[in-house]
Amino acid sequence: MLASPVLRAALRAQKRRNITKFPALVSRRALAQSSTATKASVLEVPSARLESLKRGPEPSTSTLELSQHPSPAAALNPIYLDAQATTPMDPRVLDAMLPYFTDLYGNPHSRTHAYGWEAEKAVDEARRHVATLVGAEEKDIVFTSGATESNNMIIKGVARFHREKKKHIITLQTEHKCVLDSCRKLSEEGFDITYLPVKQNGLVDLDLLESSIRPDTCLISIMAVNNETGVIQPLAEIGRIAQKHRGVYFHTDAAQAVGKIPLDVNAMNIDLMSISGHKIYGPKGVGAAYVRRRPRVRLEPILSGGGQERGLRSGTLPSTLVVGMGEACRVAAQEMAYDHAHISALSKRLIDGITSQVDHVYRNGDPNGYPGCVNLSFAYIEGESFLMAMKNTALSSGSACTSASLEPSYVLRALGATDDIAHSSIRFGIGRFSTEEEVDYVVRETVKTVNRLRELSPLWEMVQEGIDIGTINWSQH
Amino acid sequence: MSGPAREALNVLYANTLRTSQSFASYNFRNYFVRRTNDLFKAAQSEQDSTKLDAFIKEKKKELEVLKRAATINQMFGGRKLVVETEEDVSLSDKTPDKMERSDS
Repeated sequence: MLASPVLRAALRAQKRRNITKFPALVSRRALAQSSTATKASVLEVPSARLESLKRGPEPSTSTLELSQHPSPAAALNPIYLDAQATTPMDPRVLDAMLPYFTDLYGNPHSRTHAYGWEAEKAVDEARRHVATLVGAEEKDIVFTSGATESNNMIIKGVARFHREKKKHIITLQTEHKCVLDSCRKLSEEGFDITYLPVKQNGLVDLDLLESSIRPDTCLISIMAVNNETGVIQPLAEIGRIAQKHRGVYFHTDAAQAVGKIPLDVNAMNIDLMSISGHKIYGPKGVGAAYVRRRPRVRLEPILSGGGQERGLRSGTLPSTLVVGMGEACRVAAQEMAYDHAHISALSKRLIDGITSQVDHVYRNGDPNGYPGCVNLSFAYIEGESFLMAMKNTALSSGSACTSASLEPSYVLRALGATDDIAHSSIRFGIGRFSTEEEVDYVVRETVKTVNRLRELSPLWEMVQEGIDIGTINWSQH
Repeated sequence: MSGPAREALNVLYANTLRTSQSFASYNFRNYFVRRTNDLFKAAQSEQDSTKLDAFIKEKKKELEVLKRAATINQMFGGRKLVVETEEDVSLSDKTPDKMERSDS
């Protein structure tokens, strides 16, 4: 702190010297001097750099570099344990994308020159990687902006194409918001939607599903892995049921499943599938839809335009993002078993660590679900206060889309969770880049935080005294 | 396993490990170090020479990718996490060829 006025003076002197001796440098300097935060970080540089500053007017590349991106804060950063919201992009994916951000900028739909051809070649290769990962053919894959768009396109597209004859769609209460909202929109257009309840472990009741199919059912939409609980639905069985009924297509939202558990669209009789790029260590803003060609599944496109992507999704493909998604799928296929073993071990470590030290912890959803998604409810603790107390860990109480609202999760409510359990849920999302030390740290912090919050809680005190909370009549009226 | 192939494997192992350790971001560094160790330890007991050759060829290509990725990561990544201990830091400092981050 003492040195800073001196430093500032040195900088000022330096600047003056530059202005007089090197007028050309003035504008460059001005570029480098921006916010106070940047200045602060300049002031913190070691004395060696100060010496070089004092020595004289050499070209100021170091100052420029300093301001290129927000300098790392002095404070340590929280652990990321929210792999269901998004995943960090794999460095290998970024490396595959960079050429398409620089020299290879062609439009993949340009057929008249080499720029277009090389971009098209890259897109085709990416398409092959995506298709291979789910056991599809290349031509079945349609690139979109993400799983939300894929879900919208498929659900609305199939329903609207068959609207003359078919009016009924079956889905689950625990689906992602974009599926439920697409269905709600369709019900405004006159379609009948059946929102099937799930069993207490979050799985669909197959008998109920089969008995819900009507002659005018056109689509069953059931997600592969739930984003909040990690529950894996029995896709092969659902596919078999859908296949038994002519004209009933089976769509699965596999945003949380692709690249994490083995999927095969043919073995599972999946007709349509939604895939997301940023859940599998790829870039945000890109996704894919699998639309079966044999036998052909027809949908009405949402976007009209140049007829790209088999006419289902007009608009120039973002070749850079598509390449990134392709590489992410290639890496995912290569690393799936290795990642799964690592994530399973970490998941076990997390659950065992927490449950061995804290009482009244409930696991939401089927324990045989995807191990990277651990949804726990800590009784007598409010989820949001837990999240606020866990300053050094990036966690979520449920889906990122609804993390701003304080409503209890509708997914957990559908599983039959009571209000207090749904309010106290925390989702731990473990990913490829999570480490043992991180999990151990989170376990320690969780135990500490839960104990501290419970000590503050009058409810917890009553439970310790043996009072059954359920029997209390809270209201006086 | 023949002599030259073993030699090539060991050199590649050392290079890949060093590159993996040069990632500035804690999570990437740990992942690539762990993966490199697991993959190459498994490869060291590989008896099939054609498989081994294919492995070496593939990993040579990947090493180039990792070198570039690590450089980019040193430029744009490397925020310290709460779990990063003194040991972690000294581990990466021990690496002889570690490139300095431009803003460190």
